[in-house]
Amino acid sequence: MTTKTKKTLIAAALSALPPLLFACAAKTVKAPDEEPAREAIPLVGSIKVNRFQLDNGLRLLVVEDHSSPTLAYHTWFRVGSRDETPGRTGLAHLFEHMMFKETKNLKDGEFDRILEGAGAEGENAFTSRDYTAYVQEMPRDKLELIAKLESDRMVNLVINDQAFKTETEVVQNERRFRQENNPDGLMYQALYEVAFTKHPYRWPVIGYQQDLDSMRGQDGVDFYRAFYSPNHATIVIVGDVTPAEALATVKKHYAAIPGQPTPAQTIQPEPPQTAPRHKTLKLNMKNEKLLMGYRAPSVHHEDIPALNLLQAVLSGGKSSRLHRALVETGIAGSIEAYSSDEKDPSLFIIGANLQQGRKAAQAEAAILRELARLARQPIGDKELEKARNVLEFAFYSGLESNSEKARFLGHFEAVGQGFELGLNIQRRALAVNALELQAVAKRYFENKNRTVITGVTK
Amino acid sequence: MKNLALSALALASLSATVANAMEVAFERDSSLPLIQLNVAVKAGSVTDPQGQLGLTNFMGEMLLRGTRLRTKEQIDLALDQMGAALSVETRAESMILRGSVLASQIDPFLKLVGEIVTQPSFPENEVRKLKSEVVSGILEELGNDSTLAGRRFNKHLFRGHPYGNPVLGTIKNVEQLNRELIQKHYDRIVRDKLLLIVGAGDTDLERIQRFGEELARLRPDSGASEGAMTSAARPENPSARRLVLIDKPDRTQTQIHAGQVGVRMTDREFFPLYLGNYAFGGGSFSARMMTEIRAKRGWSYGAYSYFKHGLQPRSWQFHLFPASKYTPEALGHTLQMVQDLKAKGITSEEFEFARRSLVNSSGFMYNTPKKRVENKLLERTLELPDGFMKSYGAELSKVSLESVNRALADFLRPEILTITVLGTASSLKAPLAKAAGVAEDKVEVVPYTEE
Repeated sequence: MTTKTKKTLIAAALSALPPLLFACAAKTVKAPDEEPAREAIPLVGSIKVNRFQLDNGLRLLVVEDHSSPTLAYHTWFRVGSRDETPGRTGLAHLFEHMMFKETKNLKDGEFDRILEGAGAEGENAFTSRDYTAYVQEMPRDKLELIAKLESDRMVNLVINDQAFKTETEVVQNERRFRQENNPDGLMYQALYEVAFTKHPYRWPVIGYQQDLDSMRGQDGVDFYRAFYSPNHATIVIVGDVTPAEALATVKKHYAAIPGQPTPAQTIQPEPPQTAPRHKTLKLNMKNEKLLMGYRAPSVHHEDIPALNLLQAVLSGGKSSRLHRALVETGIAGSIEAYSSDEKDPSLFIIGANLQQGRKAAQAEAAILRELARLARQPIGDKELEKARNVLEFAFYSGLESNSEKARFLGHFEAVGQGFELGLNIQRRALAVNALELQAVAKRYFENKNRTVITGVTK
Repeated sequence: MKNLALSALALASLSATVANAMEVAFERDSSLPLIQLNVAVKAGSVTDPQGQLGLTNFMGEMLLRGTRLRTKEQIDLALDQMGAALSVETRAESMILRGSVLASQIDPFLKLVGEIVTQPSFPENEVRKLKSEVVSGILEELGNDSTLAGRRFNKHLFRGHPYGNPVLGTIKNVEQLNRELIQKHYDRIVRDKLLLIVGAGDTDLERIQRFGEELARLRPDSGASEGAMTSAARPENPSARRLVLIDKPDRTQTQIHAGQVGVRMTDREFFPLYLGNYAFGGGSFSARMMTEIRAKRGWSYGAYSYFKHGLQPRSWQFHLFPASKYTPEALGHTLQMVQDLKAKGITSEEFEFARRSLVNSSGFMYNTPKKRVENKLLERTLELPDGFMKSYGAELSKVSLESVNRALADFLRPEILTITVLGTASSLKAPLAKAAGVAEDKVEVVPYTEE
């Protein structure tokens, strides 16, 4: 009934994740003696997150929930397309594919086969600009097995040219699927290419065809050595397990893996944008599309909670400002706005699919009017309260299952040093007042910060 | 050690018939301050009359666009103020109002949902607006190869049978819908005999039951739904293999769908076929299709086979999306694999792996309240026995290799497969005809814009 898409990538931000921010330095709890100290931090209600760190730098988060005999087991590496270099774009994502190949202990295909035979659910992986995550759910008695398999591929992967070549072909097909033959994929690619001129966020996570064509096994070996080590990873376990059991299992399988030096990287900061930018794409489709990106700060920035609340005001629900201004007026069929909460300064994105016969310019004008109104006058108490409720609803809705909790924790652990960042963003967002909201709207929704991609029919 | 598939999950649930066979099923779950609530009508797009395709979905969407007491704007505002979401999902045999809300807002939410279900006003101006949105949605699909290819495959496999009708309808039909038709359809299918309430969350069970009783009282059947529950006729396979090429310019990749009429979930051969399909292409990375098409040859990012289910047999199909340059080869190879599957079945090694994998993972079919809600909806709307979705592990553990291969041999009909390929016809027609074993002059080429 449903097809399973595995080993995929997140091209856009995790828009379903609760909003953003507020940097809170993660307290790393160092292992004093034999037993690393534990810190239990409330997540939601009575649910707590137990944090550990092994001597080799591996971080471990454990959420105990015995409501079903299952657990989610995620491994989040703090490496994404942001860490690539020109000429080697797409390597982080291609490498994600390679992680399902041969290891010194397992033949090609055995990793999947053993996990699937053990009853794994949702075995998957994804790559974003900032991180790469490997995820699955298991029956609770398979904790030992999954820890053994994941730790094995963290250190024992075998990379050869032939496997690299076959997987490059698969990735090129994925690229055709997500980008070349997909109007939305092409629009997003163009948005980042135009909005960024220096920073690595300018290239697509899936990479460019010519770069993929030129990659060899040695590229994979170098990447593996540089980024796949315990000190670059966080393991998140949520489900029917005790913190003590999880820690003992993880220590057993990972403690002997040495940490590696973090490669010296020079990530070019993006210079300030000084004027609006625009690009038009001619695409095989019947209705026009519009994609706008405003330069926005890093997920750590203190303005992120307000930007999240602005997202709720603009497109949170059918009574939101942009829905009313574009969908209810017959200009657009759908509208969305979100802040891409990324490690480095990125974009606040607004996208619209136009209705039949309508022009993207009409949508752009309507959006600009609404943004100007936000900057001109503070929103009223009722609307503010409504936006808070929308945000609160989205937050809880994103924490329903073991996997969703693990995803929330892993995401903020990877982009923000600690998941507490996500909780603080949510808490702060609910406390932002109308004047703060207005000030942030003024600050970011400036003409010079805007990049617009218009998709028109061929 | 716990065996997940056999573990009893602690449920605090209520299931009650409140009136005229209308059922309310609700599971208390206090882990988050949220409630999800579905009001389902056991009649879906197959009840759309000829010439009015899309009517059920349109009527469902119109429920959210005005009541005798509130305008659409007021409904939208009320939902957002509560921290709630309400949307419509239309399937072939059901239409579901899907709601979720912060637990603190359950009372005003139930009041609003009750009003929406029992007192819709179907305002003319909203009919006009929705038409434009639905037509735009249909046109939007033309830009999405994957969605478009799936929709076209359904149409060509079922050739006039209601299972081939698009849930959203066709542009021509949607443009002809009017308030009177919508009201009439509502009067016919939104009746307590066809209603079902299923949910889970942080509220007391009695509150939901009282809500159900009120809906039943306000929407008595009184014979109005006569005939609405009659299932569509059993679809028939075509008599010969067909190749339909959906022509879209500039494709560097194609979308291949091919298949035949499927089975019902209650058919005797369902579980053997389910297991056989899993070994062939059913979502596992170790399945034959993924191994042969993706892992060994790198032809396509994904390669799957699957069943779609309904009250009548729907489809069994496979799907892959290779680069255009590999498409003829990939199609020919996959068709040969289907032929081999029929002739030789799966191996004992594939069988053991598939059975172990499916039995061990079967607990994931019902390990969260949300999944249990979906299971209940499926069981009720497809007339499956109580606990059917929970029985997979036990049923699959009884299946034998012989029964799987016998079922595959009887079921598969490679010679009459309907094959649709979305791609650029100018370069693909001749090689695809050869790969599919269809005479080139028999290949049907249709523009991608043709409904």
